Order: sequence, then C-alpha cells, then structure tokens
Amino acid sequence: MAVTVSIPTILRTHTGGEKSVEASGKTVAEVIDDIESRHSGLKARLVKDEKLHRFVNVYVNDEDVRFAGGLDAEVSDGDTVTILPAVAGGAR
Amino acid sequence: MARYESLLDALGGTPLVGLPRLSPSEDVRLWAKLEDRNPTGSIKDRPALAMIEAAERDGRLRRGSTILEPTSGNTGISLAMAAKLKGYGLVCVMPENTSAERKQLLQAYGARIVYSPAAGGSNEAVRRAKELAKTNPDWVMLYQYGNPANADSHYYGTGPELLKDLPTLTHFVGGLGTTGTLVGVGRYLHEHKPDVQIIAAEPRYGELVYGLRNLDEGFVPELYDPDVLSGRYSVGAYDALRRTRELLEHEGIFAGISTGAVLHAALGVAEKAMARGSSADIAFVVADAGWKYLSTGAYSGSLDEAAERLDGQLWA
Repeated sequence: MAVTVSIPTILRTHTGGEKSVEASGKTVAEVIDDIESRHSGLKARLVKDEKLHRFVNVYVNDEDVRFAGGLDAEVSDGDTVTILPAVAGGAR
Repeated sequence: MARYESLLDALGGTPLVGLPRLSPSEDVRLWAKLEDRNPTGSIKDRPALAMIEAAERDGRLRRGSTILEPTSGNTGISLAMAAKLKGYGLVCVMPENTSAERKQLLQAYGARIVYSPAAGGSNEAVRRAKELAKTNPDWVMLYQYGNPANADSHYYGTGPELLKDLPTLTHFVGGLGTTGTLVGVGRYLHEHKPDVQIIAAEPRYGELVYGLRNLDEGFVPELYDPDVLSGRYSVGAYDALRRTRELLEHEGIFAGISTGAVLHAALGVAEKAMARGSSADIAFVVADAGWKYLSTGAYSGSLDEAAERLDGQLWA
C-alpha cells in the first residue's frame, strides 16, 4: 500500500527538507509509523496520547481523518495524505 | 417585504436557488444560498451586526467607541458599514496578503487598517489584534472567532431560513473560518432535523500561509465545536477556482473564490450520495460575490495560472 504524504514546511526538518514522502500502511497510524521508521521524530510532533495533536490536521484525499476514525482512518493504494497545521479561516 | 427603514434592516432573508445544471440527478440536488445579497455583499453582515448589537446590549459599546477586529476582509467591511451608521470607529487588523478590493472598501468606509504579516495568515492577524487589545484597553474587540453572537446570528437567522426554504434538506455545506456559520447553522439544523449532515470546506492555502507556524501554537477558534460537523474537506486554490468558474459557467452565479471551495465539497457530498443510490438535498453557502477578487485574476486565463497567482494569498 503506497501512499504519498505531503509534509508541511514546519516538519520538513524531519524529512531532510522533502516536501512529500512515500509511505505504506493500511491506516493513518500505520503510515505515520512507517514514516517514523525512516524519519525519526516526526511522530512525536503529530501524535500525543495516541491521538492526533490538537493543532495538526491530517487529510486523506482532502477529507479530514478526524471524521473518518482519526488515526484508524483507512488509506488505500495511491491515496494522498496531507498533513497541515491548523489555521484560522480567511474571510471569516 | 422589499422595503426597509435602513440598510441595516435589509439583512438576511437571502434567496436559496437551485442548481439544475450542476446537480448530478433529480434526486441529488444542490442549492445555493446567496449570501452576497446582504447589505455589504457578504454573509459576514450577519455576525458583524449581531456582535455589535450584543455589545451594545452589554454596554460595552457606546457612541464614539472604537471597535477592534482581526479580519481578512468581509467581517471588516460589514463592521465598517455598521460602525459608520452607528457612530463607532473601527480598527481592522488584516493580513497584508488579501485582495486590493478589500483594502479599498475598508478605506472607503473609513476604517483604519493595521496590517499583519502575510506569513501566518489570519492566525497572525488574531495574534496582533490580541496584542493591540491589551495596549488599547478602551477599544472594544468583538472577536468573531470566539464571540457566541457570531454563531447565534446563524442559529437564529441562516439556519431557520434554510430549513424554511428547503424542508427536505439533508446536507449543509459551509466554509470553515471562524466556524460561526457551521456551528450556528449546524446546531439549529441538528435540533430540527436530527439526521442532517453538516460538512465543512476549509481553504488550503499556499506554503506561505502555513510556513513558519509552530505546531504548538496552532489556532482553533474558540467557537469551534467538532461535534456539530459530520465531515471536513480541505480544498486547494486550483479546485476552488475550477468550481468558482463552473458555477458561473453553468449556473450564472458570479461568486467569490471561497464559494468554489464550498461547492467542491458539496459536489463531493453529492457524488457519495449518488454512489450510495440515496437522494439528497444539499444546501451550501455563497459567502460573497466575485467583485472583490477580480484583481486577483481568478476569473481569467488558465486555471493553473490563476491558481499560481493566488499562491500565498488569503483567498477565502
């Protein structure tokens, strides 16, 4: 199960500056563990007490995983996983 | 009734229009609530007026008071109009990477603009406004991200209007910023239609906006209530622009760019309903019209070029 994971600027120190990395796994948690095995330190920035950090949003194909099982959200071959810091809205 | 005593009284009661060409079938239908038909042309007139009236009732705002607000545009424009009519001053803290039209409109209404750095987007504007509030204790910060009157304006206004016009509504899709629209409309609809699905469309900006932010100091608006939501989409500039143009091309609606992001999510919802074979009436918000974004080049040239021009800008 290969997925593409897009990494926000603030976390690229953990990926040697890479904007996106390939990873494998059947769930978001497995994908994060897989990245952690090659880019140590990333997991601690994303996960706290077995849950996604409050100010981190993770999307699978543009859908927020918090509404699809959180770290247990399923990912499939070819999916794009996007990690972003939480931001305040624009014109609102 | 189409006659009002003043512009402020002309708030709300906006039309809900069907989208027969963009709806995927007769059983899965899209409906657009035209919030650009408000006094200053955006949905923000609702929370702006509600927050001012609440502050007047509390005695926080008195004639001659100065209002302070972090805004990337529409809320500022709404406040500026109301402040002018009611005799208040207004200081807006606005990211420097917003459209030229928003700045010009605010200036035309007589608001003072304090710019916050482009990097960090609205979060930075919030931070700066909080600093200014401390150093200027006589200013009144309405603070749309945490003011219950923001969500209430949708609970008592937008939500009931939607259900009255579309009793068969199954889904509501709105933009996620302060979260006021989604939380207010969502609470009202959940109370009256327990099975309703509330879907958020969140703009995904360019690198610059997220760039230097520290994850430990992230920002979730105080109003945000994830229990109200059933799903949340992140939509980038390319898809937002593509849908904004489709809305104009197929349905004749000239909307702002954030509406394209909302439509993108609404079409995603529609596609899922089609795949399940269930019927759906999906209502979404047109937060404003396209006038304020013409200078960004959103409506001309190729989509790739337009998306590139928006990179680094706050387009929603």
